[in-house]
Amino acid sequence: MNARRQPMPGDTAAVPRADAGGGDAALLARLAAREAGALRQIIAREAAGLHRIAYRMIGDASEAEDIVQEALLRLWDHAPALAARHPMGSAAASKLRLGGWLTRVVTNLAIDRIRRARRVTLGTVPDGPDAAPRADARIEADEAQGAARALIAALPERQRAAIVLTYYEELPNAAAAAALEMNLKAFESLLLRARAALRRAYEARMQGGEP
Amino acid sequence: MTQPAQDRGAAIPPGSPLARLLDSDRVPTLSEGFAERVLAAAATRPAALPPLRRTPSWRRWRLGPRVLAGAAGVLALASAAAATGVLERAGLPVPSASTVWARLAEPSAPPAKRTSEGRLAAAGDAAAPAAPDEAGPVVLDGPVDTKAELEEVLRRIEAVRQGRAAARAALAAQRLDAALERRRAAGLPLPSPEEEAALRARIAERAAQRQQQAEARLAARRAQLEDKVARGEAVTPDDFRRPLPGDPPVPAWRQRLRELPPAERRALIESWRARREARLAPTAPPPADQGTPGTSPPQSEAPQARPAEPQAAPPE
Repeated sequence: MNARRQPMPGDTAAVPRADAGGGDAALLARLAAREAGALRQIIAREAAGLHRIAYRMIGDASEAEDIVQEALLRLWDHAPALAARHPMGSAAASKLRLGGWLTRVVTNLAIDRIRRARRVTLGTVPDGPDAAPRADARIEADEAQGAARALIAALPERQRAAIVLTYYEELPNAAAAAALEMNLKAFESLLLRARAALRRAYEARMQGGEP
Repeated sequence: MTQPAQDRGAAIPPGSPLARLLDSDRVPTLSEGFAERVLAAAATRPAALPPLRRTPSWRRWRLGPRVLAGAAGVLALASAAAATGVLERAGLPVPSASTVWARLAEPSAPPAKRTSEGRLAAAGDAAAPAAPDEAGPVVLDGPVDTKAELEEVLRRIEAVRQGRAAARAALAAQRLDAALERRRAAGLPLPSPEEEAALRARIAERAAQRQQQAEARLAARRAQLEDKVARGEAVTPDDFRRPLPGDPPVPAWRQRLRELPPAERRALIESWRARREARLAPTAPPPADQGTPGTSPPQSEAPQARPAEPQAAPPE
C-alpha cells in the first residue's frame, strides 16, 4: 500500500475522478438547488483528499480543516453560477470535475495562508532566527514525521504544492498544473526545481548540516 | 553523495531513502463531525448576491484584444498578399508607397479658369484644344519662381503635349481610314497592303520627326526658363508663348486666337472641330478631285492648324 494516498475513514476519493466526473454536473445542479444531501455527498467524496493536501502544505490539522471547510462553502456559494456555466448535457458539463475545482481552491487557500503567516511572523516577531528552534522542537517531537515535514516546509509555497500534488496525491502533471493555474511547461519547470530543492535539503540533512 | 544537477529534478523513485522519509509523514484524520459543521455553516450561509446587471468587465477586456488581434491579423495578411503580388494577380491594383504619397501630397487641381491676376495658367499653349484623355488644364497659385514649381509646370505641359501627340496620331489614322473607305465606296482603286503599310510608316516617321523637333525646342525652352528661375525671376505664360529665335513666325490668325478670352477661344475651337468631323463623316460624298492616298498623304496636323482660311479667323 502506498503511504502517499492513505485511505482514511470516510475517504471515497479512491474512486477514480474520471468516473466521478460524469455525475458532477448533476451533483452541481443539486448543489445549485440548495440540496444539502449533495453537499454531504461531496464532503464524503472529496474532504479527506482535500484535507491531506491542506495539511501537507500547512502542517496544521485544524487549520487544514478550516481550509477544506472554506473551499466546500465556496463551492456551495458558487454552485448556481457554476451550474449555469455547465448546463446538463453540454460538453462543458461532461468535462466538469468538482474535485479538480476544489483542489485548486484548497491549494490557493493554503498558499495564501502560508504567505499571510510569513508576513505576520516577520512583521510581529522581528527576531527571525527564533523560528529555527521552534522547528527543531517540532522535529524532536516525532523525528521521522518531523523530518519529512521539515523538508516539505522548507520549500517555497508553490514548490511545496507541486510536491504535495504530484508525489503525495499522485496527480498527473496536467491536473496539478491546472490546480496551480499554470501551463504545463511552467509547472514541469517548477516541479524540477522543487525536486532539486528537496534533494538538496535531504542531502544536507543526511550530512548533518542545516538545509 | 551529491548528484548531477540534471538528476536532482528527476522523479523520486519509490523505496528510495528520500521516498521512505517523505512517506513517513502521516496525515491525521478529519475531526469528528466535520461534515455536520460544514453543513451547518452552509445552512447559515447568507444567500449569494444577485448578478450585476451591467456587462461584465471581463467581456470588454477579452473582446478588445480579440478585435485588435483580428485587425492585426488581417493587416498582416493583406501586407503579405500585397508584398507577394497575390493581389495584382487577382486583378486588384496595389499602388506603390511613392504613388500613394504623391496622391496625398499633390493638391487637387482646381477647375480650369483664371481666378485672379496673380494666378498663372500654366497649361502651356492655351490656344490648343485639350486631348480627350489628358488631365485637363492646370492652374498654379502664385508666380512660378522656384525650380520645383517650374518642374511641375513643365511636367504638366509635357503630359498635355503627349496627349495631343496621341490625339494627332489617332486623328491621322482615322482620316486615312475614312479616305480609304470613301475610295472603296466610290469604287476607286485602293492602295495595295504594301503601299498602305508604307503610307502609314511615312506618317509615323513624320510624326516622329515633329516630336523630335518639339523636344529639341522644349529642351532649349526648358534651359531658358531654368536660367530665368535661377536668376530669381518668375515665369509667366508669355514665356511659354514667346517663340525662340529661329522659330517660324506665328500666323496672324493664331495670334488673334491666342488673344481671345478663353471661353470664346474654346467655343471657336469647338465649332472648328465640329465642322471638321462633319466633313470627315463617312456619309459625306467623296470629293471628285481627291487623289489616291498613296500620292497625297492625309493631313495630320493638329486641329488648331486647320482653320487657316481667312473666313475662319475670329472676329476682332
